[in-house]
Amino acid sequence: MSRKITIDPITRLEGHGKIDIFLNDEGGVDRAYFQVPELRGFERFAQGRPAEDMPQITSRICGVCPTAHHMAASKTLDDLYKVEPPSAAKKVRELVYDMFTMEDHALHFFYLAGPDFVVGPKAPKAERNILGVLGKVGLEVGKQVIGMRRQLRELMTLASGKAIHPAFGLPGGISKPIAKEDQQKFIDVAKHAVEFGQFSLKLFNDIVLQNQEYVDYITSEMYTHKTYYMGLVDENNKINFYDGLLRVVKPDGEEFLKFPGNEYLAHVAEHVEPWSYVRFSYLKDVGWEGFKDGPESGVFAVAPLARLNAADGMATPLAQEAYEQFFDTLGGKPVHYTLATSWARLIELLYAAERMQELANDPEIVSPEVHTIPKEVPVEGIGVVEAPRGTLFHHYKTDERGLITQANLIVATQNNAARIALSVDKAAKGLISNGKVDDGILNMVEMAFRAYDPCHGCASHALPGQMPLVVRVYDPDYKLTQEIRRN
Amino acid sequence: MKPLVVGLGNDLLGDDAVGILAAQKLARELSGEADVIETSLHGLALLDLFVGHNRLIIIDAISTGELSPGTVIELNPRNLRAIPGPSPHYTGLPELITIASQLQLEFPEEIKIIAVEVAYPHTVGRKLSDPVASALGEVVRRVKEHLRRWEEEEVPAA
Repeated sequence: MSRKITIDPITRLEGHGKIDIFLNDEGGVDRAYFQVPELRGFERFAQGRPAEDMPQITSRICGVCPTAHHMAASKTLDDLYKVEPPSAAKKVRELVYDMFTMEDHALHFFYLAGPDFVVGPKAPKAERNILGVLGKVGLEVGKQVIGMRRQLRELMTLASGKAIHPAFGLPGGISKPIAKEDQQKFIDVAKHAVEFGQFSLKLFNDIVLQNQEYVDYITSEMYTHKTYYMGLVDENNKINFYDGLLRVVKPDGEEFLKFPGNEYLAHVAEHVEPWSYVRFSYLKDVGWEGFKDGPESGVFAVAPLARLNAADGMATPLAQEAYEQFFDTLGGKPVHYTLATSWARLIELLYAAERMQELANDPEIVSPEVHTIPKEVPVEGIGVVEAPRGTLFHHYKTDERGLITQANLIVATQNNAARIALSVDKAAKGLISNGKVDDGILNMVEMAFRAYDPCHGCASHALPGQMPLVVRVYDPDYKLTQEIRRN
Repeated sequence: MKPLVVGLGNDLLGDDAVGILAAQKLARELSGEADVIETSLHGLALLDLFVGHNRLIIIDAISTGELSPGTVIELNPRNLRAIPGPSPHYTGLPELITIASQLQLEFPEEIKIIAVEVAYPHTVGRKLSDPVASALGEVVRRVKEHLRRWEEEEVPAA
C-alpha cells in the first residue's frame, strides 16, 4: 500500500510550492515530486503590447527578482533592434545589476539559508528563522544586513528610478546617466559592500565550515548530483552576471559548450511532465533521459554553484581567493554538493561587491553617453542574464511596428527544475524510512531544494518564514487519511 | 509624523491588484493627511518602507476561501499566525514586528490591516472581478475612517 505525503506550501521559500511524497509498502519513499503553481496568461497578456514595455511588464510580474527580468528584457530589446548600447550604458546596467545581486544574495543567505546553516538543520522549528539567526550571530549583524540592503536599494533607486521596478532600460541603453555628483555615494557604499561580503564569508567559515556536522551534511551523498552546469562567462571564462557567453561544463568539469545567448534554442529544450506545470529544461546536445544525473543525461544546473563550476574563476581578487578555497576544501572541480550552493552564493556576493567597486570608480560610469538610437526594423530578439537564481532567457518576436507577437521566458527555476526534482527525490529517499516523517526530516527534505532558492514569486510576494506547512497523507486511492498542520 | 498607508499587491495579477488600486484612489482623494505608497514588495524589504512611521494601514488581497469574494475584513497583525490560509503578502508581519523591536528600529506602534477576499489572484492581465471592484469604495471608506480617528486622537495631545 502506498501513502502520499504532501508538504504544501514549502516554508521559507519565496513563492508557493508543494512537495508530494509517495511512500511504498515498506514505509520508504517510492517517489517524491516537487510542484509549483502555474502563472496563467502571461504570453497572451504580452501579445500586442509594444516591445519597449517589456522591461516594465516583466519586472512587474515578479516581486522577487524584478531587476533580473528588467535587465534580461532590456538586453532582449538591444537584440530586437540590433542596437549596441554605449559602453557607459552597459557599465551602469551592470553596476545596478551587481547591486541587485548582492542584495538578493544577502537576503537568501541570512533569511533563507541562515536558519539551516547558522541555527542548524535539526534545531527546534521555532528557532529556525531569521530571529534564530540573529540570536546566534548577534543583533549587530542583523543591523548590518538590514543597513546594507537599505543602502543598496537607495542607490538602485538613484540609478534606475525605482528600486522595485527599475524603469531605465531602453533598447540601446538606459534612460538617464549617473550624475557626477552622485558617483562618490556609489564609491562609498561599494567599499562598505566589499567589507560586508568579506564579513559574510568569514561568518560562513566560522559557523559552518568549523562545524564538522554541517560539513558532513554539505558533502553527504543524499545532497549530491553529478550533472552538467551552465553559467555566463566573460572573455577569460570568469563569472559575469550581466553579459558574456554561456558556458556549459560536463559532470567531470570539462568544457562541453560555449555559445551566445541568442543560440539558446539550439542547445536548451524543454521537457513536459503530466504532474508539473514547470517545463523542465535540458541540454538538447545530450538529450532527455529522464530524471537522472551523469554524463548521459541532459539534466543541467544553473545558479551560484553551477556558475562557479562552469567558470574558470572570479574576475576580482578577493572573490578569486574565496573561489580557490572553495574548490580546495571541497575536493576540486566541479563540486556536485547541492548544499555547497550557499557558500558559492556568498563568494558571488563578494564578487558583486568588488565589481561594484570597480564600476563605481570607473570615470566612464558618469558619462552622459548612455543611449544609442535604434534604427533597425524589429523582428526577433533574445536576451540572457544570470539572475541570482540562475540563467534567465527572454525571447520576443514582434511585427514591424515593434508590437509583440510572441514572448517566451525561460526562468532560472525552469533551468534548475529537473535537478531540483532529482534533489527532492534523493533527499526524501535518504531521509525517510519506516514511514517516519517528522518536522526535522521534512525540513531536511526542504533543504534539498531551498539551496536552489527556486523562485515562484511571479505569482506571489510571500514573506518567507511564516507560510503554514501542511502535510497530507493519502491512501492509494488518493483519499485523505491524515492531515498535519504546522504553523 | 504622518501615518503611512501601503497598498500591497500586483496590478498585473487580476484581483491581486486590489491593494494597489485602493492606494491609487486614496492618493487622489486624500489631501495630505497620510503618506500613501503602492508596492509589490514583500517580506523583509517592507521593513525599509515601514520604518520611520508610527501608524500604518496596510491594504491587501486575502484568500481564505471561506469568505465570499469582495468581503472586506480587518485583521490584527499580532494574530496573523492563527488565521488559516492568510494572504502570503503579510504572513510574516509578526516576524517583521519582532525583528524591528529586537533591532530597536522605529517601527509603527499601531498597524491596521484591511483585506479584501479575492477570487482570481493568479491570472496575468485579468481585470478585477466584479465583487472585488465593488469593494474598493468600502476599503477607501475604512482607511479614511481610521485616519480620521487617529487625527482626532492627536488633537487633544497637541
